[in-house]
Amino acid sequence: MSKGCGKLDEAGTAETRSDETYPAKLNKIINLFESLPEDERRETLVSYADNAKKQEPREGENFNLVDVRKDEECMDTVGVYLHVDENGRAHIRMTLGPEVQTLTRAMTAVLCKGLEGCTPQEILDLPSDFVTRIVGAELVRIRSQTIYYVLTRIKSICKVYLDRQRMARVA
Amino acid sequence: MATHPTQYARPEALVETDWLEKHLKDDGMRIVESNEDVLLYDTGHIPGAVHIDWRADLQDPVIRDYISPEKFAELCSRNGITPDTTCVFYGDKANWWACYALWAFRLFGHEKVKILNGGRDKWKAEQRSMTREVPKYPRTNYPVPTKRFDKEIRAFFDEALAQSKAGKPLIDVRSPGEYKGEITHMPEYPQEGVLRGGHVPGAKSMPWKTATNDDATFKPASELAKIYFEQCGVKPDIDTVVYCRIGERSSHTWFVLTYLLGLDNVRNYDGSWTEWGNKVGAPIEKGA
Repeated sequence: MSKGCGKLDEAGTAETRSDETYPAKLNKIINLFESLPEDERRETLVSYADNAKKQEPREGENFNLVDVRKDEECMDTVGVYLHVDENGRAHIRMTLGPEVQTLTRAMTAVLCKGLEGCTPQEILDLPSDFVTRIVGAELVRIRSQTIYYVLTRIKSICKVYLDRQRMARVA
Repeated sequence: MATHPTQYARPEALVETDWLEKHLKDDGMRIVESNEDVLLYDTGHIPGAVHIDWRADLQDPVIRDYISPEKFAELCSRNGITPDTTCVFYGDKANWWACYALWAFRLFGHEKVKILNGGRDKWKAEQRSMTREVPKYPRTNYPVPTKRFDKEIRAFFDEALAQSKAGKPLIDVRSPGEYKGEITHMPEYPQEGVLRGGHVPGAKSMPWKTATNDDATFKPASELAKIYFEQCGVKPDIDTVVYCRIGERSSHTWFVLTYLLGLDNVRNYDGSWTEWGNKVGAPIEKGA
């Protein structure tokens, strides 16, 4: 991934991102949503939202980092749990409070599935423009900026993980 | 001390959940869900309810204003609504957006409007039936409204300014932190592009939630009268302007004052703080 990420051409406009910009699993989800008419896109988002609970930590799982908090940008508490395996691949679980909105729930399921097995650095480098390709222009509005919230939280935990790794190497 | 009403001025403007459950299939009635959560209707709704989206359906897609009368007629026609249809609005967030949709319907002169007391949360908490089935109604031919009632129920910037200068009742229904100018967005919400914090000079702070009980139902008439007549200085013979940040929370207060307390001279300043707080030269007060 990360080939040609967000470079500007001579006219200063962003290049069209190629499929290789995104991890394969996420790319598949993006392509699926882009192929759907609006009503089916909404249905699929609701299906993903219904599956958000399946992204919660499972019994016996251990995590390198856990970040559970209630931010002003979100209606309820959101927990992010990061496990990085021996191959350096990230596995993310999430918990959502009952007041979290449907789109945020949908994005939780999309990202947990789509980023499964990426490295923390790949997640950190991920451009955020795919979010509107999944959600669709009709559902992006002033009060829906929280669709980016889950991605921000996942990137945030990956950054903390990488910073700690760097600190440990320096020490 | 003034005697306060023991009943809502227009009790017919509210329906209770148990009543609605028994009248889901009534002729001449349309249940309308309007939410902040854009996908909430799709996750399940009251059987037979149609969805009206506050932005996609009620607002002009380009300029900051409401849809044209022609588009309102089309919206009603495709949802099987006629001028004689009683629209029962409900939604999330204690009916903020339901009241906003109701107010927009009134803007186009639709008269038969009601609110489901307690809204979606109460219906769901009582474990009443929900469905994902989207109803289809025969198309109607709603006549294009000949006027929009802006003058009667809507205030623009200049009118809110005149209200402020005249010392007439202005109610700021935002959270105390927004009113004081400590924050420029609602707690738990993203910033919506406001450059300055504070409130319209002379406005009284009375958060919208003061009018509701914990289950999102409206407080009794006597309590509402104390809140708005005694604490906010609202008087039946003087016009009142209410505002919030984009006009939805103030629609809730507009409904309370107009339908539950029976005032006929209340206007909603829907430009609200996202207009006032960005306007060059607009006077601003800060603090309590």
